[in-house]
Amino acid sequence: MDAFLAQLWIARWPIFDGFLMTLGISAGTIVFGTILGCIVGIQLVFAPLWLRLPFRAYVDIMRGTPLLVLILAAFYIPAVLGLSLSAAQAGTLALGLFAGAHIGELLRGSLQAIPPGQIEAGRSIGLTFPQILANVLLPQALRTSLPPWINTGVELIKGSSLLSMIGVGELLLKTQEVIGRNFMTIQFYVFAGVLYLVVNIALDMLGKSMERRLGARQ
Amino acid sequence: MTTTDTARPLLDIRGLRKNFGAVEILKGVDLSLRPKDVVSIIGSSGSGKTTLLRCVNLLEEFQGGDIILDGETIGYKTVGGKRVRLRDAELSRQRAMTGMVFQSFNLFPHLTAAGNVMLGLRKVKKLGKEEAFVIAEKWLNRVGLGARLEHYPSQLSGGQQQRVAIARALAMNPKLVLLDEVTSALDPELVQEVLTTIKSIADDGATLLIVTHEMRFAREVSSRIVFMEQGRIAEEGTPAEIFGEGRSQRLNEFLKSSRH
Repeated sequence: MDAFLAQLWIARWPIFDGFLMTLGISAGTIVFGTILGCIVGIQLVFAPLWLRLPFRAYVDIMRGTPLLVLILAAFYIPAVLGLSLSAAQAGTLALGLFAGAHIGELLRGSLQAIPPGQIEAGRSIGLTFPQILANVLLPQALRTSLPPWINTGVELIKGSSLLSMIGVGELLLKTQEVIGRNFMTIQFYVFAGVLYLVVNIALDMLGKSMERRLGARQ
Repeated sequence: MTTTDTARPLLDIRGLRKNFGAVEILKGVDLSLRPKDVVSIIGSSGSGKTTLLRCVNLLEEFQGGDIILDGETIGYKTVGGKRVRLRDAELSRQRAMTGMVFQSFNLFPHLTAAGNVMLGLRKVKKLGKEEAFVIAEKWLNRVGLGARLEHYPSQLSGGQQQRVAIARALAMNPKLVLLDEVTSALDPELVQEVLTTIKSIADDGATLLIVTHEMRFAREVSSRIVFMEQGRIAEEGTPAEIFGEGRSQRLNEFLKSSRH
């Protein structure tokens, strides 16, 4: 144990950097994915068919493809097209597009679960459709989307470890580099695992407390 | 002056036709309401009475005829000889002239009673928060819910929810209020509080178009009653005429069957 702690002290900065990178990429993709997901979810429910189809195709492709394949695609395809994205940018793009599809799909479900009478009530007092969306539908849909949205966040944090495959210096890659120097394989993988676990449990608790607060208001 | 004012119809429905695919729901309905009229539409289910109300509130498209509200043709315009549905923003402006109360209340579950009433005041009438709250408070007091301003719909009984819905419609100061079977989803013991509220609003001079199955209520509150059958107005008259002698055999049968 002392040997491990000594090595951990030596490796504290690389691991801390990796941890920050994991948090940064996760937060970035959750924000990006949520904004994208809101647009996608609304289009999937309310857009005319010709506009709905491309969104449908996007969601199905993202949901039907392994995340690692998406990450590799985001890393190699832009390079072929002459766009130079850094590994971190490509990885964030892949995770963000993946999150957008998942959040879009879960928002679609929540929007469709709202009784049509809600739209009619909004119309009957003279609200325009964008006003109904902003004041009647989204507040209700976002509320029911909260638990699966937290799940998506947890998936993204775990999924960000796959970015080690394209050389993004996040927690897993940094851990592997440290292991390459000190060969304390099990100890450092367990340590990285614990860090992921702590972040995910914290996110889960945040979600539960938000749910309770929102739940108490209805 | 006053005689011409009241003589001009507030709502004028002319030759209204509506079909869902091949099924004709409304086969040419003419109906006219003057200000302060309280008109009840009765008839068996499937006669088209709810569809008629929904057309007036522009929740349904219709294929023929005109609906003229306070001198303005609503829902459609004629462009190059063709009938075109108006845009969303224009429809919304026209819908704000009528209020509607639904069978299933349709309150916004994420907003308090006051929040439900305030939403239209703030977003459609663009009032400030304080001003909207004062109006909401006034109308919730008016329907006897002054003590329930901060309650969410799930914390209210069905009758209370429906009274919030009535306050929500009336707070917008509509020219005409449409009431669509507003007591049909209520437990029997809660029906009376809602009917009493509507009666008092009618006594205040609101113009109401009511679809109802409550015959005694229709008789008490209405200035006129319309009996609809198979997408047409089959009979129209004062409550005394409709419920008195000399009515048609069809109306007779309907009234007999609707008496539980």
